[in-house]
Amino acid sequence: MNATTKKRVSSQSRNRRVSLGVTYTILIILGIIWLIPLAWIVLSAFRCEYNGDTFIGTVTSNFFPKAYGLKNFKDLFTATYYGVSNAFPRWLLNTLIVAVVDCLISTFLVLSVAYCMSKLKFKLRKPFMNISMIIGLFPGFMSMIAIYFLLKSIGLTGNPNHPGYSMIGLILAYSAGAGLGFQIAKGFFDVIPNALVESAKLDGCTNFKIFQQIILPLAKPIIIYQALMSFTGPWMDFIFAKVIIGAENSQYWTVSVGLYSLLFGTHPDTNLFTQFAAGCVIVAIPIVSLFMWLQRYYVEGVTAGAVKG
Amino acid sequence: MKKFLAFLLAMLMVLSLAACGDSGSGDSNKGSEGAEPASDPKAKDPNDDGVIRVWVGEESAEFYQKICDQYVADHPDFGYTIVVKGMDTGSVAGTISQDPQAAADIYTVAHDNIGKLASTMCAKPFTDQALIDQVLADNPDSFKTVIYSTYEGESYLYGVPYISQALFLYYNKDLVTEEQAKTFEGLKEAAAAANCKAITVTGDDGFNMSFALLARKVSDHSTTVKLFEGAEPVSGGSKGVSNCQGDDTIAIVRWLQDYAADPNGFKWASSDGWEADFRNKGVVSVIGGAWHYNSAKASVGEANLGIALIPTFKLTDAAVEGLSGVKAGDEFRGGTFADCKCFMINLNSVPSKYEEEQELVMYLSSKEVQNASYLEVMNVPAYLGAADFIKQCYEEGKVTESEYSLAAMQVGMAEWGIPQPFLTGTLNTYYYSKNGPAVFRAMIDKTAYPTTGDQILTETESLDGIRKGLYLIEYLWMHGVAPKEFPATLPTVA
Amino acid sequence: MGSRSKTAPKSHRVSLLERLRKKFSDMGKRFADGSPGTKLSHFIFGAGNFYHGQYIKGLLFLLIQLGILALMIFCPSVNDTPYGWKSLANLSLKNVTEGKMDPFTGKVMVSPSDCKLMVLFGFVTIAMIFIYFLVWNLNIESSRKADMDLKIGKKPTSFREDLRELLDGKFHVLMLTPTCIAATVFTILPTIFMIALAFTTYNTQDMNDLGTKLFHWNGIQNFIAVFTGEGSLGVEIKNRFLPVLGWTFIWAIFATLTCYLGGIVLALLINKKGLKGKKLFRTVFIITIAVPQFISLLAVRNLLGEYGPFNAMLMNLGWTSQPIGFLGLNTGDSERLAKFMVILINMWVGVPYTMLMTSGILMNIPADLYEAGRVDGASTLKMFRKITMPYVVFVTTPYLISSFVGNISAFNTIFLLTGGGPTYVGYQAGGTDLLVTWLYKVTIDQGSYNTGAVIGIFTFLITATITLVTYRRSKAYNEEDTFQ
Repeated sequence: MNATTKKRVSSQSRNRRVSLGVTYTILIILGIIWLIPLAWIVLSAFRCEYNGDTFIGTVTSNFFPKAYGLKNFKDLFTATYYGVSNAFPRWLLNTLIVAVVDCLISTFLVLSVAYCMSKLKFKLRKPFMNISMIIGLFPGFMSMIAIYFLLKSIGLTGNPNHPGYSMIGLILAYSAGAGLGFQIAKGFFDVIPNALVESAKLDGCTNFKIFQQIILPLAKPIIIYQALMSFTGPWMDFIFAKVIIGAENSQYWTVSVGLYSLLFGTHPDTNLFTQFAAGCVIVAIPIVSLFMWLQRYYVEGVTAGAVKG
Repeated sequence: MKKFLAFLLAMLMVLSLAACGDSGSGDSNKGSEGAEPASDPKAKDPNDDGVIRVWVGEESAEFYQKICDQYVADHPDFGYTIVVKGMDTGSVAGTISQDPQAAADIYTVAHDNIGKLASTMCAKPFTDQALIDQVLADNPDSFKTVIYSTYEGESYLYGVPYISQALFLYYNKDLVTEEQAKTFEGLKEAAAAANCKAITVTGDDGFNMSFALLARKVSDHSTTVKLFEGAEPVSGGSKGVSNCQGDDTIAIVRWLQDYAADPNGFKWASSDGWEADFRNKGVVSVIGGAWHYNSAKASVGEANLGIALIPTFKLTDAAVEGLSGVKAGDEFRGGTFADCKCFMINLNSVPSKYEEEQELVMYLSSKEVQNASYLEVMNVPAYLGAADFIKQCYEEGKVTESEYSLAAMQVGMAEWGIPQPFLTGTLNTYYYSKNGPAVFRAMIDKTAYPTTGDQILTETESLDGIRKGLYLIEYLWMHGVAPKEFPATLPTVA
Repeated sequence: MGSRSKTAPKSHRVSLLERLRKKFSDMGKRFADGSPGTKLSHFIFGAGNFYHGQYIKGLLFLLIQLGILALMIFCPSVNDTPYGWKSLANLSLKNVTEGKMDPFTGKVMVSPSDCKLMVLFGFVTIAMIFIYFLVWNLNIESSRKADMDLKIGKKPTSFREDLRELLDGKFHVLMLTPTCIAATVFTILPTIFMIALAFTTYNTQDMNDLGTKLFHWNGIQNFIAVFTGEGSLGVEIKNRFLPVLGWTFIWAIFATLTCYLGGIVLALLINKKGLKGKKLFRTVFIITIAVPQFISLLAVRNLLGEYGPFNAMLMNLGWTSQPIGFLGLNTGDSERLAKFMVILINMWVGVPYTMLMTSGILMNIPADLYEAGRVDGASTLKMFRKITMPYVVFVTTPYLISSFVGNISAFNTIFLLTGGGPTYVGYQAGGTDLLVTWLYKVTIDQGSYNTGAVIGIFTFLITATITLVTYRRSKAYNEEDTFQ
């Protein structure tokens, strides 16, 4: 009896070991495939090849560079693009400002709307939810031009005397609609038991107090998720920002607009792929590390949104 | 939390302040324009902030800022500071027409945008007689016809040329000898040796396709192609004559079809950009302009970069079969549009700046500044007789050999080209550049091209197919849309 | 059931009429019964509040009234296009004059018109009027409430008390106002503007009537043109609309399913019992979510490009003599290959997302289900099919739908990878163009705003139908009312 069980156990454990081995192999192969394109960008950023005296900055067919160096980074930080000296650091700073302010405003708006939709009862609640869902389904490109001129009406873009105001305009444009994307946060708030709110109400708490002292402390994961989403947004958008800020105000561009223009704009020198790659690395590092750091909250937000719908 | 709210409140205050500030100035803008309609334009305009903004190509922004600063320093009574901004040359016209009020006071575009910008109220005509005299005295006749546009039936000067642009050939000296670069056949031979394609273009728009469509017979520089020839620059006036159905054009299309089908012949630019083709030895040569110089240099290295006129080719037996106007062995040279970039004044610029703007344009387009811009940023001057200056610079050792041949070849090609015609908003190469090239490319690729009226040009290989395609292009030039149907008999032009 | 649904709308309509009539009679009564202050409030905002000593509130109402009236009367203008009553007149787009100027002074005599701004500002003004009446009603109500308070012997609320009420009973007003204002101005108005463009001739392709600025209303012509093929993009719309629509659906289905299944399988692999380095593996896959798409997708595009390393490798190995156009970037490349590649590469971006999401769900599957399965001698595959999938699908149906809708308008993936290619000479819409990327090309590149708006509306109709149908059936929606 012992012998047969032992045999079964050992064959089972061998099976398990084999299947684990297979799993490892698959995962490692997949992992490599997943990383290749990103490795390509990183390698391109450090590529430092010359053809005679001329630096090669275009896409090359050798995956691994023949020579490494920091020239691309050095050039990127010191070069003049679109008439802006030290353009790249400026773009970085612009994006940081836009992202931080947008993050604060958007997160606040989303939380306040989500709380109202989840925990308060009022007349226009249902229509508000329906409208916000419907509006979100229209493709946004057409309205860009309208938003530009609305912002221009209040002097927040297309203003030659104060070109910098267009950054306020961009922040406004990014965060204005944020409140309509409350669904995920609402799903999160829905899970907080109503009894908690009711009992606080019986204790004489105002709705504001309830929001501030009961809901917000519980909502840390969703706050972080929303903040992460609205902070990373401006780093990724390369179309909207250019229209709102204007092609002429290149000193107020965000970094993604700038990088995209390096690759696709018309330049006297189109030899900029490696500099583009260096820029990508610089942009990706903080965002990726932020993501990794706050991964747990991200997962929580994604799951909340997906399962609750 | 309180701090957060306080911060938000402060933000809102700033926003509303900003809003109030500007809407106020907007009102005053309106008031001033309405209140004093015909008063002295020099009167102090509250919107005149004492700054003249200039947009130039990205590559020469620094140079023009320097020149302008110098100008202001030399003319203490000029009264304006000048801010120069480098713009993306490809998209600047679109940026201007999107919101002309936000565009610069003076901007520069390729001359084929003049009609569009003038007719959409983005451009102000030049009226300063001294400036007009300078433009008429300095520029070649071909430019003079295309920088005028009409307003209310009168023709006005809208653009002041300062850079000339034409196509020529870059080749890789590593793979091509100077002799081979003179003919398309020679390039093919070199390409066969290198196991790649012979030649590419930098894009498939109307400007780049001019190398084939505007090819001219070497013996007498002739072509039967006409683009709005003799048109009257008056809105609603005659569109002139357009023709591209000559036997020579048909033969050239056939020749290019064969040349493109050849494994060592012509190819369209790669999606990675023509630089990738050129750098990776996917082609041995490329037809480009002076603005591609830096990229071309970076692609193959300055030592390997050859510059030449667009090569010549001989018509083959197959190309001339069934045609009476040409015969096998006729030699043609690739053509080009010989364009110019122009200074223009924004119609929305404050009227009190008008005089100074014209003064500034007059200076910036003067021969001295054009010459300086050639020496510093490789802008090939537009004025008549620039070739002599370029040659002199080379002889005096002020420019390198490739910099010299760059300018010299471009000036040389100008003899083989015409400027892209444009007359008014309704009549310009806009049509040419939107639909014509697509048909032409379809013909070279031997693919179908769709037209309105449910007609699809399904075959582009037979003589009849090519005739139809060229008829289509000609019709598009004249009308902007494809014909409802093809005529029963297509005209033949020997 | 059928008869009920037929009669239902009718009764609804009657009640609506009834309600409107009642509303008006109430409003009349409100005026008649009100104190002098309330009566005056009908004409001067805040008068009732001043009457009752609520000065700050009254002042706020008055400021809003004066502000909106000033805008209506003085008609401030942007780019020579006015707001206010003039913009309402302009909304007809009829008395549009071409700009005329005196070329010698360069002075504009008649402002150049800009029809797109006329439409936009007209709608803004209409919204303003709407807000005017909303505030009008609020201000009367506020005065009436003070009347009532007096009647029952209470003092009208002070400003401080009003503020306090905003933090409690009317907390939702405080919380929703910023979003309502911002979303109206920057989301809803622009969307209405976009829809309106579909009924105009706004098309910069038609240079004959100064297309960039001057256009007029043309009813549903643009929608008819989709079927007749009229207009400057007529052939394109007629010949390419159905293929693009079809591919949009195929893409959305495949992109959703591949990422979904792939994600679940990956999650299963990573969460396998006894596997070490779970966190490391997860991190590796998450990176593609974290890296901005314009970076990661452009990297893939260059990697697979004509002269990119991948083609170079294939050619070095001698597997191909010519570079392969994987992404259809050149005219003449294979459309099928490009379509296959975008779906494949989309997995690279999308699979980790599902993996993250389903990881938690997988761990929640009761272990005894598997135990029971194992006892029954079910194979791993069978257990996956019979236990894992049903469970996960059940929990994540809303996600499946939202990601399907999201994929219909997946702009970045297509725009950055293939740019819609391979293109067909003479058409805007290439082989892999979705409705949204086509819309982008038609409007932003070509300036055919009316055609773009039509495509946009079609896109909206498709996504809205799917969302509404599924959303109405979903548990989330149906339980919504019982939940509170």
